[in-house]
Amino acid sequence: MPKLRAFWIRLAGFFTPGHKQSDFDDELQSHIEMHTEDGIRAGLTPQEARRQAVIRLGGVEQTRQVIRERRGLPWLESLLRDIAYGLRTLGKHRGATAAAILSIGLGIGANATIFSMVSRFVLRPAPMGDPSTLLTLYTTHDGGQCCNHFSYPVYADIRDQAKSFSGVAAYNELIPASINGSGEPERVWGQAVTSNFFTVTQLPMLLGRGFVSGEENAQEIVLGAGLWRRRFNSDPLIAGKPVTLSGHPYTVVGVASPAFHGVDQILFTEFWVPLGNAPVLAASLPNPSDRGQHYLVVVARLNPGVTQQSASAELKTLASRFAKSYPATDKDIGFASDQSGSLPPRERSAMLIFFAALSVVVLLVLAIAGANVANLLFAQAAGRQRDMAVRLALGATRGRLRRQMLLESTLLGFGGGILGVVLSLWSTSALSRFRLPAPVPLDVSIGVDWRVLLYSFALSLASGLLLGLAPAWAASRPMLASALKGEDALARPGRRFTLRNILVIVQIAMSVILLCVTGLFLRSLQSASTINIGFRTDNILMMSIDPGVNGFTPQRSADFIMQLRERVAALPGVVSAVATDIPPLSGGGRSDGFRIPGSPEGPNSWIITELFMATPGYFESLGIPRLAGTDFGSETPTGPRVGIVNQAFVDQVLCGRNPIDAQVDGAGTMFRIIGVVGNVKSRTLGEETRPIMYRSLQQTIANDPSFMGYALLVHTAGNPSSAAQAVRRQIYNLDPNMAIYNEETMEQHIRAAFFLPHIAAALFGTFGFIGLVLAAVGLYGVMSYAVSRRTREIGIRMALGAKPGAVERLVLRQGLVLTLIAVVLGWPAAWMLSKLAASFLYGIQPHDIFTFAVVPPFLIAIALVACWIPARRAASIDAMKALRAE
Amino acid sequence: MGEKPDVWQGTLALMVLRTLETLGPLHGYGMARRIEQTSGDQLQLNYGTLYPALLKLEQEGFIRSHWGVSDNNRRAKFYELTKAGQRQAKKAAAEWEQTSEILARFLNPAEEA
Repeated sequence: MPKLRAFWIRLAGFFTPGHKQSDFDDELQSHIEMHTEDGIRAGLTPQEARRQAVIRLGGVEQTRQVIRERRGLPWLESLLRDIAYGLRTLGKHRGATAAAILSIGLGIGANATIFSMVSRFVLRPAPMGDPSTLLTLYTTHDGGQCCNHFSYPVYADIRDQAKSFSGVAAYNELIPASINGSGEPERVWGQAVTSNFFTVTQLPMLLGRGFVSGEENAQEIVLGAGLWRRRFNSDPLIAGKPVTLSGHPYTVVGVASPAFHGVDQILFTEFWVPLGNAPVLAASLPNPSDRGQHYLVVVARLNPGVTQQSASAELKTLASRFAKSYPATDKDIGFASDQSGSLPPRERSAMLIFFAALSVVVLLVLAIAGANVANLLFAQAAGRQRDMAVRLALGATRGRLRRQMLLESTLLGFGGGILGVVLSLWSTSALSRFRLPAPVPLDVSIGVDWRVLLYSFALSLASGLLLGLAPAWAASRPMLASALKGEDALARPGRRFTLRNILVIVQIAMSVILLCVTGLFLRSLQSASTINIGFRTDNILMMSIDPGVNGFTPQRSADFIMQLRERVAALPGVVSAVATDIPPLSGGGRSDGFRIPGSPEGPNSWIITELFMATPGYFESLGIPRLAGTDFGSETPTGPRVGIVNQAFVDQVLCGRNPIDAQVDGAGTMFRIIGVVGNVKSRTLGEETRPIMYRSLQQTIANDPSFMGYALLVHTAGNPSSAAQAVRRQIYNLDPNMAIYNEETMEQHIRAAFFLPHIAAALFGTFGFIGLVLAAVGLYGVMSYAVSRRTREIGIRMALGAKPGAVERLVLRQGLVLTLIAVVLGWPAAWMLSKLAASFLYGIQPHDIFTFAVVPPFLIAIALVACWIPARRAASIDAMKALRAE
Repeated sequence: MGEKPDVWQGTLALMVLRTLETLGPLHGYGMARRIEQTSGDQLQLNYGTLYPALLKLEQEGFIRSHWGVSDNNRRAKFYELTKAGQRQAKKAAAEWEQTSEILARFLNPAEEA
């Protein structure tokens, strides 16, 4: 403890030098005066007494030095001096420093980005009490086939019989509901949980409490923190207040902690209701007494001291007991367990491999970046031998010089690390912004957390140290005599193609390939915007509603949509209002096999056809041309089934036969075709034209309802966004509890459909840029080293009359040779590899002449710029200076 | 010229602590003289070396200092033991006694049985 105390005082002394020292001078002064006085008293002359006093005190300056060092921390001072010197040195070589920091920064940024995924999906524990003893259970079937949910009776049996667990809870993963609160109702997703859920998970609550025993059927709700903030203005007294959920009154009992969005960390749910009460919200939930209906996820808290292994053994015993007691449902049943919050078992191995592969790739990128920077540092070390030799001759130790070099490379490493973290902040937020086109709410956002920061710090430190090792070692042992004379003590007679050159050639060749692919995707993005999608995108406003959530019967839903269409169509500025189940280009949809009735059975007899619902006027509103027949009219659920098909359906299913009044067989249901319309893109931009069957919404809604709600499409005369408020009001007039979601214009919707070409262009654009920068830095480093090695040779050439321009060309030519070799190697490889990208390209050929013609000159131009800096330096070599050391 | 032994490493701190323990608050010069006297003028103390030792002890919290006035009406910096210093003086003394006792056995080995 006294040592620690002394350290802090010295650290404080380090930051407040000065006044303490004068205090010590005063003390010395008083010491000498007292000693002198004693001497005079003993009979010496004042001069002699003072002389004696000073002699006995010893070396005053030495004492003062010891005191000064003792007050502060000398090693810290010398470290700071070294850092300041290092920063000055780095500042002197601005170009090289910037290149080094940029390439290490890109490498570390890429690593930090990938690691933030690993941290988010693999390392982060679930935000619940002691995640290590909370298990998620799965059922397996047919001898270990993974993985299924639980039926309520099986869950109850485990809860009552298993002795390994202190508690076992179950929940249904996803229940949609519309919720009131401030503003208009909103559609949110929640979970139905057993009343012991909050006890078993030991979930910390922000406010109030979780459910307790006896509330199995209570009409109560726990809100997610985000929902509470968004809808209820963070009301601190919300516990005990009523809220309206899908039109039913619920009492709030608590608010969950902000980090909690569900046990599995990927689904994003925002409210929890008791399982027994869930049928109020979701009438389609299975019967809890049916042992064969698997719809629950089970989490279990291990008893203290019980391991997962022994719990698994007990579950195995239970499984075999169940199989005997309930052979009808539990035959071949088994149970598997996993720590809660880890990746879902079915996708885990694929995701782990994905992350591992990405990590290897980005580590490789960092290694290449590091090799380039090491080259650069080596070039510098060669140039600094005189400096080093002088310092050695003046008495600096080699260790001190090595420390100096290592410090400089570590500074570069940290500079790169800081840049990398900044880059990864940007890249993770950009990645998190990409909305996955999934129908259920997912939280796949990633961010830079403390694990990522620690990892980046370690990477920067490691790369900084590794980078500096070789140059530090080499530079600190120049042959004194020859280095002082200016001879290159590091140079060895080398082969023409060193490892260094080969590395650079490989990098440039790879960047040729990357740039070609990047060019293809950029061109594809450009041409995707000219794809004919087959329907109107301007002046269309879309809103989705899900009357089923509010307990509407299908017939009532149909009536609701009919009324809504009439009211909206009557609004000023509205041309027409139609409805469908899924707007085109939503990424997914429904489909079924169709064929001509009676055609022979065969593997290809059923043609996969996209299914859409439509109301009268749908085609006119979307500007889809009618090619033959009529529109929908007043079909009824019990009337004969009719359908309208697109031209592709006529071509592929009917094989060009007269479509009007033709009967087709849609997976067992007969349809009479009443009309033919033009082709449209149905799911994605890149798809081949698919056959489509439009069914009457009025006729279909009862016996084949949509699970994702219905979309109202409003064709407006002017700006569609300005009609939104009036349309919303019409919906609330019909039902104030109806939640509206997916509100967007068709133009916004189409932009989302560009997700794939966008993300491909963005990804390859990033990789292409990184590859290009690394290759340029690599070339720059190699050429710098070459120039620094040839300084004397160039000096002699210039002394013999070579012009600076000729010297510049000499260097440029050498760099250009490397680049040309790389292009000759890389271009054919890119030509062959581009075929692999063909299926991701829109409207252009993989052998796009434009791309393949532009990339090589572009790359050569970049290479010239990279060589130009060392070439300029070579040309500015002063012949006299270079030769003077002879 | 007869060589006087230098002060051994580490023992100076103990001497300072013991001196302050017996005499109470004292300035650096007085302490240096006192240590010489106590050793019966056997020790050649370079007065300058006393001050780093004092600073170290102060940083470790065993002594504290303040400016005061000496017997001869001179401004001087006085040092005194803290509570921790008193404990440390006893502890260090005990340790040193044990060490010297052990060493003594080597210097005057007991007759072999």
